[in-house]
Amino acid sequence: MTIPPGIIRSARTLSYYSQLEDVTANNLANVSSDAFKADRITALLSQGAATPVPVRQIDLTQGTFRDTGRPLDVSLDGPGFLVVRTAQGERLTRGGSLHLSGSGELVDMHGDPVLGQDGPITIAGAGVEIRGDGAVVVDGTEAGTLRLVAPPAAPQLAKEGAGRYVSAAPLTPADPASLRVRQGAIEESNMDAIHGMVDLVAIQRAYTANVGALRALDGVLGVVANDLAKP
Amino acid sequence: MNPGLRAAASGMAAQQLRVDTIANNLANVNTTGFKKSRVCFEDVLYQTIEGTRIVNYPNSETVGPMQVGRGVRAAAILRDHSQGATVQTGRTLDLAISGEGLFQVQRPDGTTAYTRDGTFTISDTGAIVTSGGYALLPTITVPPEATQLNISATGAVSATVANSTDAVQLGQIELARFVNPSGLLSLGENLYAQTAASGQPMTGQPQADGFGQILQGTQETSNVDVVEEMVDMIAAQRAYEVNSKAIQSADSMIQEANALLR
Repeated sequence: MTIPPGIIRSARTLSYYSQLEDVTANNLANVSSDAFKADRITALLSQGAATPVPVRQIDLTQGTFRDTGRPLDVSLDGPGFLVVRTAQGERLTRGGSLHLSGSGELVDMHGDPVLGQDGPITIAGAGVEIRGDGAVVVDGTEAGTLRLVAPPAAPQLAKEGAGRYVSAAPLTPADPASLRVRQGAIEESNMDAIHGMVDLVAIQRAYTANVGALRALDGVLGVVANDLAKP
Repeated sequence: MNPGLRAAASGMAAQQLRVDTIANNLANVNTTGFKKSRVCFEDVLYQTIEGTRIVNYPNSETVGPMQVGRGVRAAAILRDHSQGATVQTGRTLDLAISGEGLFQVQRPDGTTAYTRDGTFTISDTGAIVTSGGYALLPTITVPPEATQLNISATGAVSATVANSTDAVQLGQIELARFVNPSGLLSLGENLYAQTAASGQPMTGQPQADGFGQILQGTQETSNVDVVEEMVDMIAAQRAYEVNSKAIQSADSMIQEANALLR
């Protein structure tokens, strides 16, 4: 017996909503992660397709800034990313709480160097000033300039966790007119808990409705299979 | 296991840690020279369900990869070394640093520890020590007959010794500072130790090379702002609640799916 298309469609829709629930749960878990960018899922109904395709977009809207007063807390005001050199290649980040490695290199929270225009930046001294254009000034002398890149097109951008992003496209320098580096501040998560709660309610109701549809179809099939053949 | 459940559970654990840190900050709201901490969170692994793909052929619209995140984890707990407010106590050996720098003290194992808590006393041998009994470095000894102990803004310690009207220089306080003070290891008793993350200490005299000045008869209070902590606590509690709701919602969806089989 072939499964009726209505049941398959309902099952796909249920799996779409359960994916949506997973994404919303992750967004809500990261409601206080520094520089977190929420994932938004939209349903794309292609021409001729029976079920919608879930499409993920990273919402790159800027979060609010929180002043921390810590000199190595770095955040970006405007569209763009900093570059981190990892064992797997160059990764993008929106900044955060930077540190110094044992050799004085400017590193992120996982110890990977945050790159300047000419590679890693070494800080030897006591007073660090990071200027709006990304210039890192140590005790009055410039130690380097942070490398700022423009956000890649949405399909080219993937998340890697730990606030890092991978770009499938080559990196291009950011527009200095629209991007400023802020020292002593942290960009908060752009996930809004209220928005998330509303999403949760909508997802759950839609799921319930689709379960109802599936049950109704199942009921019809039950009548066909069990009652029609009775003498 | 439903990944949404795990993500929401990690969110609850994260908010719990945030509340723990806020509680410690609030507990130390009256601790001299205390520096508040903040937890930094980050997202964890993403599962790529589908890579970048072309939809709507032949219009060839490209959509990004479909990724589902797996929750949150604490990346670091960072101390904020900003200046606390100063209060006048009038006590001769209450010293506060206004600006950059930490006092250097000697621990019993011979290593140097650093502190912003300038509540000093004089030991039985005449040395200037912290309230915990650790000697201030470089060691300064106050003779028993000394009166009128005076510590200048630049850290020069002088006293008038009995039968004399002229002040005698007893020593010079030197401060240390670090390029990344939040990398210092907290030892308790308001003491910090140097780590690879903090960098090497730079020592110098107060009011020189960017060091702050010494204020005698003054204490630096905790830099915890009660209002700010309370606001954070409310935010943490609401975030905890919203994550528990996500667990409930994921749970009820699983229940409904289970109930499909009659």
